[in-house]
Amino acid sequence: MSASNETQGAEGGADEPPQPDNTFYECNICFDTAKDPIVSMCGHLFCWPCLHRWLETRPNRQVCPVCKAGIGKEKVIPIYGRGSTNQQDPREKLPPRPQGQRSEPETQGGFPGFGFSDGGFHMSFGIGAFPFGIFASTFNFNDGRPGPPEAGSPQHTEEMFLSKVFLWVAILFIFWLLVA
Amino acid sequence: MASMEKRLQKELQALTKDPPKGVRVSPDGTCRTLSEWIVDLDGAPGTLYEGEHFQLQFKFSSRYPFDSPQVTFIGTNIPLHPHVYSNGHICLSILTEDWSPALSVQSVCLSIISMLSSCTEKKRPPDNSFYVKTCSKNPKKTRWWYHDDSV
Ligand SMILES: [Zn+2]
Ligand SMILES: [Zn+2]
Repeated sequence: MSASNETQGAEGGADEPPQPDNTFYECNICFDTAKDPIVSMCGHLFCWPCLHRWLETRPNRQVCPVCKAGIGKEKVIPIYGRGSTNQQDPREKLPPRPQGQRSEPETQGGFPGFGFSDGGFHMSFGIGAFPFGIFASTFNFNDGRPGPPEAGSPQHTEEMFLSKVFLWVAILFIFWLLVA
Repeated sequence: MASMEKRLQKELQALTKDPPKGVRVSPDGTCRTLSEWIVDLDGAPGTLYEGEHFQLQFKFSSRYPFDSPQVTFIGTNIPLHPHVYSNGHICLSILTEDWSPALSVQSVCLSIISMLSSCTEKKRPPDNSFYVKTCSKNPKKTRWWYHDDSV
C-alpha cells in the first residue's frame, strides 16, 4: 500500500512542496483528496465518510486500514484547514464527523456558549442528534455518495433545520437545569 | 457505485503509467468494464518462478474498496504453490478477512509476487483435489484456514 503512495508522490519532484492535490493529502481509502478530513491517533488521514463506512463494515474489529492500529469514532481528530470555506459544525454533517476535543480555558464562570462542558449538554444533544445521524449515513451510503448534501438542497435545509431544533432543545434543557 | 469507479479509475491510471516490476495491466480483457481486470505477473528473478508468466483476474463489487476484490489465477499457467489451488484460487488472508480498503490492486499483486517468491518447494496444497471438486466458483465464499502465512 505504501509502495503506490511513494511512487506517485515521487513524480512531483522532490523539492516541490506538496501541492494541495498531491497524494500526500489523499484519503487512504478513496485515494482522493480527503474531504471532511480526519486523522487517526496513528497519524493516518481519511475522509470522515470513508472511515465511517469502513468502521461500519466491521463493527467488531475496528482497525486502521493502513497500520491495523485500534481506531474508533472517539479516537480520530478532525482537521480544519484555513481555506475551508465550509466552517459548518461537523455535527451537522452526514455522517457526523466527531468533534475536536476542546480543552477548557482557565476562565471560570459566565456562560461560555457551546464550549460549555456540562455533561447534561453533551448528553442531551447526543441523544437528539444520534438517530438522525444513523438514518442519514445509511441513506448517504446507499447511493454511494460520500459527501454531505449540497448546500441549498432540500435535504440540506431539512438537516440544518433539524439540527437547529435539537440544538435549541438542548439549550432550553440546560437553561431549565440552571434555573431550576 | 461512483466512489468505486472513481477509485478504480485512479488505480488503473497509476498502474498503467507506473507499474511496479513484474506487474502489468493486461491489454486484453481489461477495461471493457472497470469492474473486471486482468493483470499479467512475472515470476520474480532468483525465485522458483523466475521466467514464468501468470495472469491474475480481479473482479470488483460495487462495494469496493470496502469489500475485497475477487482474485484468482487464470489462463494456462497456474503457479504450482502450496497456497494456490489448481483452479486458480489463492489462499491469502488479505483477500478475505485481512482485507483493508487501504490495499489496492497494486499491493495485492505485490503480495502475491512475494508469496510466490518465498516458496521453497513447488507443490499444490495438500487438499487440492478435494477442494477443487467441492469449492464454489468464488474463492471469497471459501472459509479459508490460514494455516501458514510464512510461505
Ligand atoms: Zn476518502
Ligand atoms: Zn494507522
